[in-house]
Amino acid sequence: MTGDAVWYEAAQIVGITNVLNVAADTLGVLGAVDEAGAPVEARALFADIRDFYQTDDVPLGFRFIAHDPGYAADVWAATRHAFADHRLPRRFKEALAFAVSMTTRSASGTALHLSQMRRFGVSPRGVVEIVGVTQMFSSYTKIADTLQLEPDMGDIAPVDTTPAPGGPMR
Amino acid sequence: MPTVRLRDAVEYPAAAQKLFELSRSWFNHDFSEPPAMSRVMAWDGEFGAPHGRAMKRAMTPGEFTRGEKEMVAAAVSGVNACEY
Repeated sequence: MTGDAVWYEAAQIVGITNVLNVAADTLGVLGAVDEAGAPVEARALFADIRDFYQTDDVPLGFRFIAHDPGYAADVWAATRHAFADHRLPRRFKEALAFAVSMTTRSASGTALHLSQMRRFGVSPRGVVEIVGVTQMFSSYTKIADTLQLEPDMGDIAPVDTTPAPGGPMR
Repeated sequence: MPTVRLRDAVEYPAAAQKLFELSRSWFNHDFSEPPAMSRVMAWDGEFGAPHGRAMKRAMTPGEFTRGEKEMVAAAVSGVNACEY
């Protein structure tokens, strides 16, 4: 996991996972878009989402924000790009999103990404590998915060001197 | 500033020195002093040892690589807003 590019990808997953979870876990009172009566652009969006996740149901977060189909389409474009195979594979990105969802106590996000991990071949034991990392580092972080420990391992990782994508070398 | 005074490695008993060696090996880095968290966990071996074993077991390569697990750990720490 050396080089900054994979960390930028990981940060996208953390961010967009929270984008979806915060809607899915809080907007029940708003009500989800009813696909049967939805405008054509929302139906096309839902079809694309179902295809990506290979599920019958569109994740709740998208069904809530699809009251504004244009906004939902932009969120979906960012989500689809973030979760696609790039330097990090989709299977691992789902695991990362699962860990983030667990950490933020998002029941809907945890369920979604757990099902996606399983779809990409992760066994129950493999799921517990990610659960273990999530639990252990939830413990370490709380111990560190309680004792107000100061970072002392930041210089272990090498510095990536390459430019931003498409940019000139320094 | 930490809530507690973090002891230098030399202030720990022999059993803890072994934990510090394991820590150096785990991170593959020659620290001038063991990381603060290693020294915290070495304070009470009856907690630190099984906690450390659970961490090591969780981080051992399996269906996911050590690198992938380190990335998950970094994300979990970030989401928990932990600067350490």
